[in-house]
Amino acid sequence: MAIIKKIINWGRIKSPWVLHFNTGACNACDIEIIASLTPRYDLERFGVLLKGTPRHADILLCSGPVTKQVECRLLRIYEQMAEPKFVIAVGSCASSGGVFGCCYNVEGGIDTVIPVSIYIPGCPVNPQALIDGLVKLLASLEGPSPCMKDSKARDDLPIGKP
Amino acid sequence: MLKELFNILVFPGLLFLFIFGMAIEFVDRKLCARLQNRIGPPWYQPLADFIKLLGKEDVVPQESDVAVFKLGPVFALAAAATAFLYIPLWNKQALFSFSGDIIVVFYLLTIPTLVFFLGGWYSRSVFSMIGAVRTLTQFFAYEVPLFMCILSSSLLANTWSLSEMTVFYLAHPWCWLFTLPGFFIALIALLGKLEKVPFDIPEAETEIVAGAFTEYGGRFLAFLRTVLNMEMVVGSSLLAAVFLPFGFVHNAALSFMIFIAKILFITALIAVAHSVVARLRLNQMVSLCWRVFAPLAFLQVLISLVIKGFLVMR
Repeated sequence: MAIIKKIINWGRIKSPWVLHFNTGACNACDIEIIASLTPRYDLERFGVLLKGTPRHADILLCSGPVTKQVECRLLRIYEQMAEPKFVIAVGSCASSGGVFGCCYNVEGGIDTVIPVSIYIPGCPVNPQALIDGLVKLLASLEGPSPCMKDSKARDDLPIGKP
Repeated sequence: MLKELFNILVFPGLLFLFIFGMAIEFVDRKLCARLQNRIGPPWYQPLADFIKLLGKEDVVPQESDVAVFKLGPVFALAAAATAFLYIPLWNKQALFSFSGDIIVVFYLLTIPTLVFFLGGWYSRSVFSMIGAVRTLTQFFAYEVPLFMCILSSSLLANTWSLSEMTVFYLAHPWCWLFTLPGFFIALIALLGKLEKVPFDIPEAETEIVAGAFTEYGGRFLAFLRTVLNMEMVVGSSLLAAVFLPFGFVHNAALSFMIFIAKILFITALIAVAHSVVARLRLNQMVSLCWRVFAPLAFLQVLISLVIKGFLVMR
């Protein structure tokens, strides 16, 4: 059984499919995410494919602070993804709320709503930084303590809140 | 009995088709990447994708028809793998053949398309339903030119069996040159069958997330992707057997290499189409198929009839 787990883990490391979701960013981080997927930086080297649907994706790339309006949508998309799933907070706003942290319409960083595996700072993030964060996440899967938040603890999450 | 089982399940059958399909997917993606000046995925990429999808959680939507949702991919896989057995690959004779097997191959090749439609429709998601309807609409457009071109070739050979067609073209070398226009029309129609650019309208990810596959994930998606890879191999070997019937030499290894080269050639053409053309709209695609490719396919039938007349008179 151990060898099967090892093989599946190998597949998981070599084939991370991402879903890009803008939770209220100013579009700068989104442009950088797209830049890292296009020929200049070519994330497909690591097996990354951009997917349109949460059912296919393994990694949720969230950019921007969570606004009150997008909060329930973010939760819904997170719930629609199949296990095992990882969340990357792309940019300063996604990590902590950034300059929008105290706005009346902003909930805060991504981790106020869903568990986050990796935080990538930057305003906006560099494509190099994004690739570095992604590779660090994948490298952590090899080790004993992967950056995998226990999504069973999502009972604490504000699911069903409008 | 044991040998036949081995043939069906392992060598020219299921397992070979599975591995070859993955290799073809890799070649397609790598060529595409190189044409876009990228490095592209490593060689084990399709295998890693498959293993990862097997290890993921299976999500079945509550609203969906569970039986169709779960069994559809298996049916599609079986149909694509069965169609492969009737196509002459590197031998003059296919593994199984009877007079009229060309019709059976056509039928078996339509089953995956139908499964994509049913799976998308019974997922009961708005996007997958739009994708499913697009799959079926596109199906009615490309099917006529594709079948007409392949039938024009069989008309020339005066047989309804793929293996006998190969034998005819070996007896009349260079006859296949007259069906070359049909090859290119059939290749474009095949792009529609495989849902590749410029005819990837059913899974247009910029419009309708992933089309009919929107709700599929985990094992079922792994099967569906395998079906698409297998369809690519089966479709290109069908075109190679019908339109490029040469290179069946006595040396088995050389013959096998020529077969691989033919498939790679067709894959390369598909990859080039992927990187130089953009996606068409559905109405553009349908009108292109009915107004341009269907008359051209008729022309191909006419050419075949004329050549056949010459052959008979001689």
